[in-house]
Amino acid sequence: MLDDTRETRITPIGPPKRNPWYLLTGAVLGLILGLVYAWLINPVVYGSSTPGTLGEADKDFYRATIAQVYASTGDLDRALLRLTLLEDPDPVYALGAQAQRALAAGRDAEAHALALLASALQGPPEQQKNNTQPSPPQPSPTNLPPGAPTHTLPVPTAAP
Amino acid sequence: MKSRTWRFVFFALAILAGFAAGLGYGWAINPVQYRSTGPHTLQIDYQTDYVLMVAELYQAEGDLAMALARLGFLGDTPPLVMMNDAIGFADAQRYAAADLGLMRSLAFAIQQALEGME
Repeated sequence: MLDDTRETRITPIGPPKRNPWYLLTGAVLGLILGLVYAWLINPVVYGSSTPGTLGEADKDFYRATIAQVYASTGDLDRALLRLTLLEDPDPVYALGAQAQRALAAGRDAEAHALALLASALQGPPEQQKNNTQPSPPQPSPTNLPPGAPTHTLPVPTAAP
Repeated sequence: MKSRTWRFVFFALAILAGFAAGLGYGWAINPVQYRSTGPHTLQIDYQTDYVLMVAELYQAEGDLAMALARLGFLGDTPPLVMMNDAIGFADAQRYAAADLGLMRSLAFAIQQALEGME
Protein backbone atom coordinates (compact mmCIF):
# COMPACT_ATOMS: atom_id res chain seq x y z
CA MET A 1 0.00 0.00 0.00
CA LEU A 2 1.32 3.38 -0.88
CA ASP A 3 1.71 6.00 1.75
CA ASP A 4 -0.50 8.52 0.06
CA THR A 5 -3.41 6.13 -0.07
CA ARG A 6 -3.24 5.04 3.56
CA GLU A 7 -6.37 5.81 5.49
CA THR A 8 -5.80 7.73 8.58
CA ARG A 9 -8.31 7.39 11.33
CA ILE A 10 -8.71 10.18 13.76
CA THR A 11 -10.52 9.28 16.90
CA PRO A 12 -12.72 12.08 18.04
CA ILE A 13 -11.38 13.70 21.17
CA GLY A 14 -14.08 14.14 23.79
CA PRO A 15 -13.89 16.20 26.89
CA PRO A 16 -10.90 15.04 28.90
CA LYS A 17 -11.86 12.87 31.86
CA ARG A 18 -10.64 14.61 35.01
CA ASN A 19 -9.94 13.00 38.31
CA PRO A 20 -12.21 14.07 41.16
CA TRP A 21 -9.26 15.27 43.22
CA TYR A 22 -10.65 18.77 43.19
CA LEU A 23 -13.55 17.51 45.31
CA LEU A 24 -11.17 16.20 47.93
CA THR A 25 -9.28 19.46 47.84
CA GLY A 26 -12.51 21.37 48.42
CA ALA A 27 -13.53 19.09 51.28
CA VAL A 28 -10.15 19.45 53.01
CA LEU A 29 -10.21 23.20 52.52
CA GLY A 30 -13.71 23.38 54.00
CA LEU A 31 -12.69 21.15 56.90
CA ILE A 32 -9.77 23.42 57.74
CA LEU A 33 -11.99 26.50 57.52
CA GLY A 34 -14.60 24.82 59.71
CA LEU A 35 -12.07 23.88 62.37
CA VAL A 36 -10.56 27.37 62.39
CA TYR A 37 -14.03 28.82 62.84
CA ALA A 38 -15.07 26.32 65.54
CA TRP A 39 -11.85 26.43 67.56
CA LEU A 40 -10.53 29.95 67.09
CA ILE A 41 -13.12 32.37 65.78
CA ASN A 42 -16.28 31.16 67.49
CA PRO A 43 -15.39 28.44 70.02
CA VAL A 44 -17.81 26.81 72.41
CA VAL A 45 -18.41 29.09 75.40
CA TYR A 46 -19.20 27.32 78.63
CA GLY A 47 -21.74 29.16 80.73
CA SER A 48 -21.78 26.77 83.64
CA SER A 49 -18.40 25.76 84.88
CA THR A 50 -17.28 24.32 88.19
CA PRO A 51 -14.77 25.73 90.67
CA GLY A 52 -12.35 23.02 89.56
CA THR A 53 -11.98 24.68 86.16
CA LEU A 54 -11.07 28.09 87.55
CA GLY A 55 -7.67 29.58 86.85
CA GLU A 56 -5.00 29.25 89.50
CA ALA A 57 -5.39 32.80 90.81
CA ASP A 58 -9.15 32.41 91.10
CA LYS A 59 -8.72 29.02 92.76
CA ASP A 60 -6.42 30.64 95.31
CA PHE A 61 -9.01 33.30 96.04
CA TYR A 62 -11.75 30.68 96.37
CA ARG A 63 -9.56 28.51 98.61
CA ALA A 64 -8.69 31.48 100.82
CA THR A 65 -12.38 32.32 101.18
CA ILE A 66 -13.15 28.74 102.20
CA ALA A 67 -10.38 28.88 104.80
CA GLN A 68 -11.56 32.22 106.16
CA VAL A 69 -15.11 30.92 106.47
CA TYR A 70 -13.80 27.86 108.30
CA ALA A 71 -11.77 30.08 110.62
CA SER A 72 -14.88 32.03 111.53
CA THR A 73 -17.46 29.20 111.67
CA GLY A 74 -15.40 26.11 112.47
CA ASP A 75 -17.56 23.98 110.18
CA LEU A 76 -15.01 21.46 108.91
CA ASP A 77 -17.47 19.26 107.02
CA ARG A 78 -18.68 22.16 104.95
CA ALA A 79 -15.14 23.39 104.35
CA LEU A 80 -14.13 19.92 103.20
CA LEU A 81 -17.07 19.73 100.80
CA ARG A 82 -16.15 23.11 99.38
CA LEU A 83 -12.50 22.21 99.02
CA THR A 84 -13.48 19.09 97.11
CA LEU A 85 -15.03 21.32 94.45
CA LEU A 86 -11.60 22.73 93.64
CA GLU A 87 -10.41 19.23 92.64
CA ASP A 88 -6.96 19.70 94.11
CA PRO A 89 -4.92 16.48 93.94
CA ASP A 90 -3.78 17.06 97.52
CA PRO A 91 -5.90 19.69 99.31
CA VAL A 92 -3.62 19.80 102.36
CA TYR A 93 -0.60 20.46 100.20
CA ALA A 94 -2.49 23.13 98.22
CA LEU A 95 -3.56 24.84 101.44
CA GLY A 96 -0.07 24.68 102.92
CA ALA A 97 1.62 25.99 99.82
CA GLN A 98 -0.86 28.84 99.52
CA ALA A 99 -0.44 29.64 103.20
CA GLN A 100 3.28 29.99 102.70
CA ARG A 101 2.74 32.25 99.70
CA ALA A 102 0.30 34.38 101.70
CA LEU A 103 2.77 34.55 104.57
CA ALA A 104 5.53 35.64 102.24
CA ALA A 105 3.22 38.32 100.81
CA GLY A 106 2.49 39.64 104.28
CA ARG A 107 -1.14 38.48 104.44
CA ASP A 108 -0.85 36.98 107.89
CA ALA A 109 -4.56 36.54 108.60
CA GLU A 110 -5.13 34.70 105.34
CA ALA A 111 -2.06 32.54 105.93
CA HIS A 112 -3.28 31.70 109.41
CA ALA A 113 -6.72 30.70 108.15
CA LEU A 114 -5.23 28.52 105.42
CA ALA A 115 -2.82 26.83 107.81
CA LEU A 116 -5.61 26.31 110.33
CA LEU A 117 -7.74 24.54 107.76
CA ALA A 118 -4.78 22.49 106.54
CA SER A 119 -4.02 21.28 110.03
CA ALA A 120 -7.70 20.56 110.68
CA LEU A 121 -7.83 18.44 107.53
CA GLN A 122 -4.84 16.44 108.66
CA GLY A 123 -6.87 15.63 111.74
CA PRO A 124 -5.79 14.17 115.04
CA PRO A 125 -3.07 11.50 115.01
CA GLU A 126 -5.57 8.69 115.71
CA GLN A 127 -7.51 9.60 112.61
CA GLN A 128 -4.36 9.67 110.51
CA LYS A 129 -3.48 6.14 111.63
CA ASN A 130 -6.85 4.89 110.41
CA ASN A 131 -6.40 6.56 107.07
CA THR A 132 -6.02 3.78 104.50
CA GLN A 133 -4.94 6.03 101.67
CA PRO A 134 -1.24 5.95 100.87
CA SER A 135 0.54 9.00 102.11
CA PRO A 136 4.02 10.29 101.41
CA PRO A 137 6.61 9.50 104.03
CA GLN A 138 6.61 11.99 106.83
CA PRO A 139 9.83 13.30 108.32
CA SER A 140 10.60 11.69 111.63
CA PRO A 141 10.79 13.97 114.62
CA THR A 142 14.26 14.85 115.67
CA ASN A 143 15.50 16.48 118.80
CA LEU A 144 16.24 19.99 117.76
CA PRO A 145 18.53 22.19 119.73
CA PRO A 146 16.82 25.00 121.59
CA GLY A 147 16.30 28.05 119.43
CA ALA A 148 16.42 26.15 116.16
CA PRO A 149 13.90 27.39 113.57
CA THR A 150 10.87 25.17 113.20
CA HIS A 151 8.19 24.94 110.56
CA THR A 152 5.07 26.84 111.43
CA LEU A 153 3.17 25.68 108.38
CA PRO A 154 2.58 22.20 106.93
CA VAL A 155 5.59 20.92 105.09
CA PRO A 156 4.70 20.65 101.40
CA THR A 157 5.15 17.24 99.91
CA ALA A 158 6.56 16.56 96.49
CA ALA A 159 4.14 17.18 93.67
CA PRO A 160 3.06 14.03 91.81
CA MET B 1 -24.71 23.91 32.06
CA LYS B 2 -21.16 23.58 30.94
CA SER B 3 -18.93 20.99 32.47
CA ARG B 4 -16.66 23.69 33.87
CA THR B 5 -19.58 25.28 35.69
CA TRP B 6 -20.59 21.95 37.20
CA ARG B 7 -17.07 21.52 38.47
CA PHE B 8 -17.25 24.84 40.30
CA VAL B 9 -20.59 23.85 41.78
CA PHE B 10 -19.25 20.51 43.06
CA PHE B 11 -16.12 22.21 44.36
CA ALA B 12 -18.24 24.67 46.33
CA LEU B 13 -20.38 21.83 47.66
CA ALA B 14 -17.26 19.96 48.75
CA ILE B 15 -16.05 23.04 50.61
CA LEU B 16 -19.43 23.38 52.30
CA ALA B 17 -19.46 19.71 53.29
CA GLY B 18 -15.95 20.02 54.70
CA PHE B 19 -16.88 23.21 56.57
CA ALA B 20 -19.91 21.50 58.10
CA ALA B 21 -17.79 18.52 59.13
CA GLY B 22 -15.23 20.88 60.67
CA LEU B 23 -17.92 22.69 62.63
CA GLY B 24 -19.40 19.44 63.86
CA TYR B 25 -16.01 18.18 65.00
CA GLY B 26 -14.92 21.49 66.52
CA TRP B 27 -18.17 22.24 68.35
CA ALA B 28 -19.64 18.85 69.25
CA ILE B 29 -17.07 16.08 69.09
CA ASN B 30 -13.91 17.82 70.23
CA PRO B 31 -14.74 21.33 71.41
CA VAL B 32 -12.27 23.72 72.95
CA GLN B 33 -11.52 22.71 76.54
CA TYR B 34 -11.13 25.66 78.86
CA ARG B 35 -8.71 25.09 81.70
CA SER B 36 -8.92 28.54 83.23
CA THR B 37 -12.48 29.74 83.29
CA GLY B 38 -13.52 32.87 85.12
CA PRO B 39 -15.68 32.90 88.24
CA HIS B 40 -18.49 34.57 86.29
CA THR B 41 -18.99 31.29 84.40
CA LEU B 42 -19.65 29.26 87.54
CA GLN B 43 -22.94 27.40 87.69
CA ILE B 44 -25.64 29.08 89.73
CA ASP B 45 -25.34 26.53 92.54
CA TYR B 46 -21.62 27.21 92.96
CA GLN B 47 -22.24 30.95 92.73
CA THR B 48 -24.89 30.61 95.42
CA ASP B 49 -22.53 28.70 97.68
CA TYR B 50 -19.90 31.40 97.18
CA VAL B 51 -22.45 34.07 98.05
CA LEU B 52 -23.27 32.07 101.18
CA MET B 53 -19.58 32.06 102.10
CA VAL B 54 -19.48 35.83 101.70
CA ALA B 55 -22.58 36.14 103.87
CA GLU B 56 -21.01 33.91 106.53
CA LEU B 57 -17.90 36.09 106.56
CA TYR B 58 -20.02 39.23 106.68
CA GLN B 59 -21.83 37.81 109.69
CA ALA B 60 -18.50 37.26 111.43
CA GLU B 61 -16.72 40.44 110.37
CA GLY B 62 -19.49 42.95 109.78
CA ASP B 63 -17.40 44.53 107.04
CA LEU B 64 -19.76 45.47 104.20
CA ALA B 65 -17.03 46.90 101.98
CA MET B 66 -15.10 43.65 102.21
CA ALA B 67 -18.26 41.68 101.47
CA LEU B 68 -18.88 43.78 98.36
CA ALA B 69 -15.28 43.29 97.27
CA ARG B 70 -15.67 39.53 97.72
CA LEU B 71 -18.90 39.55 95.70
CA GLY B 72 -16.99 41.31 92.94
CA PHE B 73 -15.12 38.04 92.46
CA LEU B 74 -18.20 36.70 90.69
CA GLY B 75 -18.20 39.38 88.00
CA ASP B 76 -19.67 42.71 87.11
CA THR B 77 -23.26 41.89 88.01
CA PRO B 78 -24.61 44.41 90.55
CA PRO B 79 -24.26 42.95 94.07
CA LEU B 80 -27.93 43.25 94.90
CA VAL B 81 -28.92 41.41 91.71
CA MET B 82 -26.34 38.77 92.53
CA MET B 83 -27.71 38.42 96.04
CA ASN B 84 -31.30 38.18 94.86
CA ASP B 85 -30.40 35.52 92.30
CA ALA B 86 -28.56 33.52 94.94
CA ILE B 87 -31.37 33.86 97.48
CA GLY B 88 -33.91 32.82 94.87
CA PHE B 89 -31.89 29.73 94.00
CA ALA B 90 -31.24 28.90 97.65
CA ASP B 91 -34.92 29.28 98.42
CA ALA B 92 -35.88 26.99 95.55
CA GLN B 93 -33.32 24.41 96.65
CA ARG B 94 -34.52 24.60 100.25
CA TYR B 95 -31.32 25.74 101.82
CA ALA B 96 -31.24 25.72 105.60
CA ALA B 97 -33.15 28.59 107.15
CA ALA B 98 -30.01 29.80 108.91
CA ASP B 99 -28.12 30.01 105.61
CA LEU B 100 -31.00 31.82 103.94
CA GLY B 101 -31.11 34.20 106.88
CA LEU B 102 -27.42 35.01 106.47
CA MET B 103 -27.84 35.78 102.79
CA ARG B 104 -30.96 37.87 103.39
CA SER B 105 -29.11 39.77 106.08
CA LEU B 106 -26.29 40.63 103.69
CA ALA B 107 -28.75 41.56 100.94
CA PHE B 108 -30.57 43.83 103.35
CA ALA B 109 -27.29 45.51 104.36
CA ILE B 110 -26.38 46.08 100.70
CA GLN B 111 -29.81 47.50 99.98
CA GLN B 112 -29.56 49.83 102.97
CA ALA B 113 -26.15 51.00 101.83
CA LEU B 114 -27.38 51.63 98.29
CA GLU B 115 -30.38 53.60 99.56
CA GLY B 116 -28.07 55.62 101.76
CA MET B 117 -25.97 56.55 98.76
CA GLU B 118 -28.99 57.82 96.80
